[in-house]
Amino acid sequence: MSKGFANNRMSLLAMGVITCFMAVGVRLVFLQVVDREELLRFVDKARRQIVVEQARRGTILDTRGNLLATSRSEITVAVDAWSLDEYLQIERNPAKRAGKAAVEKAKHAQLAVLLGLPVDAVEQAFTPAMRDIKPEDDKRDGKVDGRTKDRWVKLREAVDEPTYDRIVDLNIRGITSERVYRRVYPGGGLAAHVIGYLNKEGTPVSGAEQHLDLYLKGQDGWIESEKDGARRELAQFRSREVAVQDGNDVVLTIDSVVQHIIEEELRILGEKFSPNFATIIATDPMTGAILGMANYPSFDLNHYSKAPLEAQRNYAVTDRIEPGSTFKIVAAGAALNEGIVTPFSSFDCGIQTIDYKGRTIKLPKEDEPFGVISVADIVAHSSNRGAAQLAMMLGEQRFYDYARRYGFGETTDFPLGGEVRGTLAPPARWDGLTISRMPMGHSVDATPLQIHMAMSAVANGGVLLRPQIIKEVRDPAGRVIRTFAPERRNQVLRPGTAALLAQLLTGVVREGTGKGFDIPGFEIAGKTGTTQKIINGRYSTQHHVASFVGFFPASRPEVVLSVIVDDAHVPGGTAYGSKVAAPAFHHIAEQLVQYLEIKPVTPTPATRSFLAMQGGVQ
Amino acid sequence: MRPPPAHSLVNRLIALTLLLLMFAGSLGLGAVWFRQEISQTANRSRSLEHKLADIERRLDEVNAQVAAAVNPDALLRQNEAMRLGLAAPREIQVWRIAGSAELHLASKRNLEAFRDEAFSVAAASASAGKDFSFRFANASLR
Repeated sequence: MSKGFANNRMSLLAMGVITCFMAVGVRLVFLQVVDREELLRFVDKARRQIVVEQARRGTILDTRGNLLATSRSEITVAVDAWSLDEYLQIERNPAKRAGKAAVEKAKHAQLAVLLGLPVDAVEQAFTPAMRDIKPEDDKRDGKVDGRTKDRWVKLREAVDEPTYDRIVDLNIRGITSERVYRRVYPGGGLAAHVIGYLNKEGTPVSGAEQHLDLYLKGQDGWIESEKDGARRELAQFRSREVAVQDGNDVVLTIDSVVQHIIEEELRILGEKFSPNFATIIATDPMTGAILGMANYPSFDLNHYSKAPLEAQRNYAVTDRIEPGSTFKIVAAGAALNEGIVTPFSSFDCGIQTIDYKGRTIKLPKEDEPFGVISVADIVAHSSNRGAAQLAMMLGEQRFYDYARRYGFGETTDFPLGGEVRGTLAPPARWDGLTISRMPMGHSVDATPLQIHMAMSAVANGGVLLRPQIIKEVRDPAGRVIRTFAPERRNQVLRPGTAALLAQLLTGVVREGTGKGFDIPGFEIAGKTGTTQKIINGRYSTQHHVASFVGFFPASRPEVVLSVIVDDAHVPGGTAYGSKVAAPAFHHIAEQLVQYLEIKPVTPTPATRSFLAMQGGVQ
Repeated sequence: MRPPPAHSLVNRLIALTLLLLMFAGSLGLGAVWFRQEISQTANRSRSLEHKLADIERRLDEVNAQVAAAVNPDALLRQNEAMRLGLAAPREIQVWRIAGSAELHLASKRNLEAFRDEAFSVAAASASAGKDFSFRFANASLR
């Protein structure tokens, strides 16, 4: 072989390689430059995807960390029948194809059992079908005929994770799914009016769910990425990523056990008296923290759609009632605070009329006849005429100012909203009788929570507080990011006056209208109320609002408790606060003393110690 | 000095081209390997993310189930269904003590043990017609 031939071969090889490279280069130029835009559009359409990551909504917890509301993932299972069809069509051998189809059919029967559906319904879903589509959108299958392959036939919603795992294990061709978060309320109806709920669309409708949505909802994240032929994400082609931010957890001041105790009592009240509505509120007097707030009727948060609208109302803040005798704390507290009376000052409550500012005013009726009694007795026995005379000593303006200071005529700034303002007309709009009727709780109305917070002011040394329902907010990692301190609204009474009034209120259960509902050693202080309801513009003798609002122990208050029952049906009698509300108050207070480990302020009777030593009474 | 023959230059050029091609090919293969590694790592990372999300979902599921099982109403139902007869004490059944509950119970137990033992010793002695002496029982709680 000559050298020249070798050189020629090498040159030819080199030319060939270079030509090939040039051909590749030219093709690349066409692909990357000439046809670039068109090809990019095609690739983008086929491969690009934006995956939205749903933020997990924060949980709602009670003050002890028990779950009140949480989010649970559920799966919507659907079928892409065309996917199965395409899988079977790939197989050319008819026998093998039939075998594969038989295997899939057997799996469909298992799927039907897991989903609790008839086998026929599942088989129907796996039958390829077409659906109508707008002609302008019909470019998917190459034909513009207004028909396209139906690739999403829903089989079942709300499939739980364990069931879905079993479905995945079956490895069924054509099964697709979508994961969604659904709100669940482990307590069912526990604190239903406080927690509120999310509707089916995920929109918060009421309660903490609605008003604390800003903390709870979080922020969805998204990933811009590419997918392969099997529609799986190609993680290496992630181009942009916005991290999901889960919602914060909200800790409420509600205590599940306290809430349960009051809801149980409401259930008993409902069964016994079939009231129009009833509400019970328990708070910590020193902070205004709501330990429990419940209403009758109530509903199950997990089945909110079945509950009538009346059952979904938080009557504690949405409805106004005349406070009745519970309002007497205004006149008594104001008169003591102004120093114009002492607990021993006496008033003639047997008189029917009184001269006031040059006019003779008819005094309201009493439930029982009184003679000359002290201020302490006016409070304990709930004398209407006594309260009227105390208010007259104060005068219209001063009495009105005190009522305002107690928070009447305005909202309490309840953090979960929905609250209505009470009605308290200024003295300029009073008629001649108002000064004698308002002190007994007529001509004024307020929500149960407003009445409750007024009593709370007596319990905590004369300070009107804003009711607290949110204890703290925690981030998803459990770190506390915001706390809520007690909010002071007003100094209603001097601390000394408040303590004195608290002691006078212990007389109510010791010897007054609530006699017999004391708990020895725990100084129950409270006020009964029985208000005639206004029916067709007149005070009815048949329909009443019964209430008992109080706190304990009087000299070291730890709980303020209100029981308000609207239009209780008492067979053959009047729904007095002492008959309807006071027993419920007493029963709840007994349980709260145990649960909250409240220590007695006075020694318990020796007989009780003896009984307890012996193992208690049977 | 004679210039190198033309074919020698061509040979060198070809050899250099081949070397360049080999180098470029190696670079290309390296890049492909590198991308493959990136892809595998990304997919592993995605898989771990999915696992983590899955575990969190299951944790939420379990937490919700636990919360539903321990809510006061469910516990009361269990109490009834299992006929446990558990009930909160009534106020009249409660005896509050100021100091340590353990010491209080120990002294109460000592009192009972002492009384029982004294009684049995006295009975035995009486039956044997002998005198008896006191013995002390100590709390073993500390």
